[in-house]
Amino acid sequence: MIEISEVVKNFENVRALQGVSLQIEDGSFFGLLGPNGAGKTTLLNVIIGLLKPDAGHVAIDGEVLVYNDVNVKRKFGYVPQEIALYQELTALTNLKIFGRLYGVTGKKLNERIDWALEIVGLSERKNDVVKNFSGGMKRRLNIACSILHNPEIILCDEPTVGVDPQSRNAIFEMLKKLNREEGKLIIYTTHYMEEAERLCDKMAIIDYGKIIAEGTLEDLTALLEKKETVKILKNDLTVSKLEELKLMGMVNETEFYIELIPKEDFKKNVRLFEKFEELGIPDDNVEISRASLEDVFLFLTGRNLRD
Amino acid sequence: MKNVLILLRKDVLRFVADKPALLLTFILPPVLILIFGLIFGGSGEPQSKIKIIFVNESKSPLALTLEEKLDSSDVLKPVKEFTPEESKVPQRFDEETAVRFVKEGKYSTAIVLPEDFYTDTSSALRIKIFYDPKNAIESSLIQGAIQKTIFTQMSSLFPALMTKRAKKTLKGSKSVSFENEMAEIIGKYFNVSKDTIVKYFSEENIVKNPSGENFIGNIINIESKQVVGESVNNPGVTRMAGGWASMFLLFSIVGASLTLFEEKQEGSLKRLLCMPVTRSQILWSKYVFSTTLGIVQLLTMFVFTWLFFGVDIFTNFGNLFIVIVVSSMAAVSFGMLITSTVKSIQQANGIATIIILIMSAIGGAWFPVSFLPGWMQTVAKFTITYWSVDAFLQVLWRNVAFSGIALHVLILASVGVVVTFYSVIRFRKGNIF
Repeated sequence: MIEISEVVKNFENVRALQGVSLQIEDGSFFGLLGPNGAGKTTLLNVIIGLLKPDAGHVAIDGEVLVYNDVNVKRKFGYVPQEIALYQELTALTNLKIFGRLYGVTGKKLNERIDWALEIVGLSERKNDVVKNFSGGMKRRLNIACSILHNPEIILCDEPTVGVDPQSRNAIFEMLKKLNREEGKLIIYTTHYMEEAERLCDKMAIIDYGKIIAEGTLEDLTALLEKKETVKILKNDLTVSKLEELKLMGMVNETEFYIELIPKEDFKKNVRLFEKFEELGIPDDNVEISRASLEDVFLFLTGRNLRD
Repeated sequence: MKNVLILLRKDVLRFVADKPALLLTFILPPVLILIFGLIFGGSGEPQSKIKIIFVNESKSPLALTLEEKLDSSDVLKPVKEFTPEESKVPQRFDEETAVRFVKEGKYSTAIVLPEDFYTDTSSALRIKIFYDPKNAIESSLIQGAIQKTIFTQMSSLFPALMTKRAKKTLKGSKSVSFENEMAEIIGKYFNVSKDTIVKYFSEENIVKNPSGENFIGNIINIESKQVVGESVNNPGVTRMAGGWASMFLLFSIVGASLTLFEEKQEGSLKRLLCMPVTRSQILWSKYVFSTTLGIVQLLTMFVFTWLFFGVDIFTNFGNLFIVIVVSSMAAVSFGMLITSTVKSIQQANGIATIIILIMSAIGGAWFPVSFLPGWMQTVAKFTITYWSVDAFLQVLWRNVAFSGIALHVLILASVGVVVTFYSVIRFRKGNIF
């Protein structure tokens, strides 16, 4: 189990982590959600020992981790946000370099490379130069290079950035396999709520260096007074009508829609639609959906996740 | 150590896979050296002559003698004809066309011996030179070559012109007695008959014997003897090879050091840092790789100069190799200092290029340091290029023993070690990690 206790990390003018505490159980798929600059990557860097916290500590199974300890780093497989590969070399050469640096050599290295290539579905392309790979293939190889030493914990720092939907699905399946079949503890940072909803059994929402909510998807959506979000088409919506909607609950304006998380007074749909009728908003322009993590974030911070 | 070797292998594989980097490191420098070498006459073939227009409008035999001497000049190639586009028939230059051709930039200089170049009544030679000083060095070369031809090849002109001037200014019997008395005095002291001396004063003698070999010649006898590098093959390239090599070395090595920035941008540096690899191992692998690359690059360049220009790199190979090693160490330390000091690869490239060009210019990589003003020669001694270039010169040109390069080796090695350690300390505080 990873235990993060009251971790504080400040940079020159930025309070990146403000007393972060989390407990992450073995074998779990843990999501760390938050907008850009929330402190996700900083927290991963502290966990792996790349950054020294100004206060607090990280412990694995009760053992407090030492900053920049080479032996501690062996416990982790780190999948960076960037495609951190030597693109002019072949996939196999990349895997050999990173495997050897993790201390895996000889026959065992070859076995681990075959295993990792199998997991990421690149066995047939191992002798190809990486720069000729598609973005999705590079992302998959990026993950393969991080798991060669069979780590207990895999840290994925937004591993699907810039990936097409098909490759994203392949990466999700691969990570699920590593979690469910290989029993790896995976910490997955993202600002895509749908990814966390799909992959993670537990998650924490981080904003401005603070954990603002934590639990399962159900735990988090239960935080909302009403578990539904109302999407209203912006067609013909005047400023005065928008002001009226703001009185009905939390409003988020997108390009085409107004997203509304209704207040207690409008919990019942009948009351809600009565008000819409009053405002002259036709039923066809209204869609009620189940609350998502996106809504939770909006509810907790008053901001859209991608702001 | 094991990790350093793995990282070193990684750098070698990446470098070999990077074709443009290979090209810039091992192909471009020899190609440029080949071009420079040919410019500086290092091919071993006769140096190309400078073409000038030559017009001889004088009927004087003396003018013909001067024309012959200029024809055989080892610097100038007198051109006497041109082919007009309209007629396609070659025509001899006259003064007017010669001036026009210079004005049009087709030639930089025209020499005209006018009709009155040398007449019975004249007491001096009259030569017209029309030139376009667009290239100061070329102009100086041409004018120097003309003067040299007259002074050395036609030295008997001077006593003849002196007596002619006497005839013109003293006139009549006075000039005759001047010539006779001069001839008598010279004949008396040099034990030569007066009539023989009078013959030397005649125009006929200048034409027959322009350099005055019998009596007047060799008044100025300059003996020159090369005492250093007399047995050196291809002196031009041998002198400059170290300078060229030092400049290319700096560019390549700084490029190799800056790959740390590339790895940071790519994210692979962070991946390494998240692995059981220390910062020191990353830095030392980079240091060993860059130094080795520098040594291989310098060896390649010197082998190239040996193959193409016959530069002798084997007689003093031991010392040459020592200088190659310490020069590489110093260049790598410079690259690491830049990498550890600046904040981005763009900044690093800009600063490194400026410093390398300045160091190359004042350190003797482009031209001898002695061309510089005194204060700049002092500044030059604070550049690694100066010590590197001078050490290569000592080894290849002077063929010195180790004692002759001991100071150079000490300075370059010290710079290499001290600056590298300072850079390693800076890396811990800088942005790269």
